[in-house]
Amino acid sequence: MFKYFAAYRKEWLILIRDPAGLVLLFLMPMVMVVVLSMVQEFGWSTVSREPQVPVLFVNNDRDSVGDKFQTGLNEARIFTLISEIDSVPVTQEMARQMVLEGTYQIAVVIPERTSERIRAKIRLLVNKTMTSLMMPDQDLLAGVTNNDSVEILIYFDPAVRNSFRNAFLSATKEFNAKIESRMIFETFQEELRKYFPQFNMPIIDYEQSVYFTEIFPSGVEEELLPSTTQHNVPSWAIFAMFFIVVPLTSSIIKERDEGNLIRLMTIPVSYMTIFLAKVGVYLVICFFQFVLMVLAGIYILPLFNMPPLEIGTHYLAIAILTIASSLAALGYGILLGTLSKTHQQAAAFGAVSIVVMAAVGGLWVPVYLMGSVMKHVATFSPLNWAHAGFLDIFLRGSTLKDILPELIKLFVFFTVTISIAAIYRTIKPPIST
Amino acid sequence: MTALSAIAIRELTKFYKGSEELAIDHISLDINKNEIFGLLGPNGAGKTTTISILCGLFPPTEGTVTIDRLDIRTDHEKIKHIIGIVPQEVALYPTLTGFENLRFFGNMYGLRGKLLKSRMDEYLSRFGLEKFARKRVVTYSGGMKRRVNLIAGLLHKPKILFLDEPTVGIDVQSRHVILEFLRELRETGTTIIYTSHYMEEAEKLCDRVAIIDSGRIIAIGNPKELVEKNPEFKNLENLFLGLTGKDLRD
Repeated sequence: MFKYFAAYRKEWLILIRDPAGLVLLFLMPMVMVVVLSMVQEFGWSTVSREPQVPVLFVNNDRDSVGDKFQTGLNEARIFTLISEIDSVPVTQEMARQMVLEGTYQIAVVIPERTSERIRAKIRLLVNKTMTSLMMPDQDLLAGVTNNDSVEILIYFDPAVRNSFRNAFLSATKEFNAKIESRMIFETFQEELRKYFPQFNMPIIDYEQSVYFTEIFPSGVEEELLPSTTQHNVPSWAIFAMFFIVVPLTSSIIKERDEGNLIRLMTIPVSYMTIFLAKVGVYLVICFFQFVLMVLAGIYILPLFNMPPLEIGTHYLAIAILTIASSLAALGYGILLGTLSKTHQQAAAFGAVSIVVMAAVGGLWVPVYLMGSVMKHVATFSPLNWAHAGFLDIFLRGSTLKDILPELIKLFVFFTVTISIAAIYRTIKPPIST
Repeated sequence: MTALSAIAIRELTKFYKGSEELAIDHISLDINKNEIFGLLGPNGAGKTTTISILCGLFPPTEGTVTIDRLDIRTDHEKIKHIIGIVPQEVALYPTLTGFENLRFFGNMYGLRGKLLKSRMDEYLSRFGLEKFARKRVVTYSGGMKRRVNLIAGLLHKPKILFLDEPTVGIDVQSRHVILEFLRELRETGTTIIYTSHYMEEAEKLCDRVAIIDSGRIIAIGNPKELVEKNPEFKNLENLFLGLTGKDLRD
């Protein structure tokens, strides 16, 4: 243990001799978590409090349907409708051109006579129904043809993601369905009033009869709302933690390049002692990096009008999972630093492999959305194990016992990687001949 | 192996995978206790490979080596306690001070407390580094770095000391101090194995030298006697060039 602590002290001294580097080690992951969480929150959140996406809106209808569309989309508070630019009303051609140029991502064009044509279509429908009830009304058919369909044009920037396009189309179609059904309801009401004027029927507002209540089962008493923060902070925090691989590999390669590893190999001290001293120091860094990132989620994100991170009350489970995740990252870093011949190799492979493991592990795209092959591959990513563990604790209120499988996998990964590194170094000394 | 042998090498052979030639080709020699033994040779001759095997950095392909009667294949860990290495590169942590570097390497040898401090003080004083001990190595001159590099291999007072070109690229004063010290060290019973490209230095310092080329020993003996046996060469450097040729080596 004496040699371990001596090596541990040496590692700390080397780290603190580069105070700027040390500050960056803590600061950059925190900045990353805050910035990327904000980008994702404002880009994808469905619970945004402020309209986010500017949409060009061309209302050539200038009647009830066009107006209702405009009001409805504005009230949805997801989009900012733009009908005029520099006091000039937006035309269809302007809208098409600006989407083509990428100035705007979406443009909606409500064609002329939209309201009139929808009304005609509805009158036709109502007349058919009334005729079948032996109450035909020829007035309803005035000016109606069978081809009076309405085509609302929506221009999309090709750069818009499919998922966002689908979300926008769903919202628009749903809104249109509401307008149409309301108009059908109102036309029927009017028609019935004609037949039964003695009843003085009031205009009844159609009210939605089916409501959807979202429930997120959680192991804690107080239900946790799975906000984007709950998903983003653990994802980016784990991603940042694994980036410890870059400075760690650099430290290993530097020690080798400076000739110190060769000297150490001729001294009665094991590689494991040297490796574990590095792990000990960088484990403290990783742990406090994670603490800072979590604190940023709790205290800094709300300053930007985002929901705070809820971490529940299982602090011991969080701490142990943080240690296990850090060890997995450090084991990988030690292995990479040992196998890499140059800084460039380690930095390039280290960074790219972490991005790949993060992507494969479901940090950016949830595993349940992946194909069957990728779902299987995801189970081999240590970032996936860590992520699954944190989501279990943060969103499902899981305990230490519940996340035991993830913990075991992370500890085994650490043991295997650091053992391979030690065996490799024993077989292949870092010496050029 | 004789009773005087500190190191006994028999039929030592090293072959690297992918290489067409043997890096070391059946070398046999004894290095006596309290001897300064010079291992000389052009680049790529096999010096570093030989020293690396003796230090236990990798095993030989064939042959046996005993160091202080300990077999390098089976007693590698015990051997680490009795040998000291001064690598050719300055193997120190540049952002640590000289003191911190020496304390770390001393600790790795199991030294601590007053014993370590007295050893550090002794050597820092001997090499004129007391005033600079608390400064970072990165601020040292080349000669100062070499001196700290040497001390790091001496702190545990090894029985056998390997020095790989310890005086390369340093000022005359530092070289003088180091060579004087090595002579003193021999008097205290330390065996020194030393490689160098400075023939004049080797001629003056070494009790015996072995000239290696292409993995084989092509001459071995006391430098003065070797020159005397080959009167066509006026000094060790001429002898070295005569035996190894004047062609440039990689």
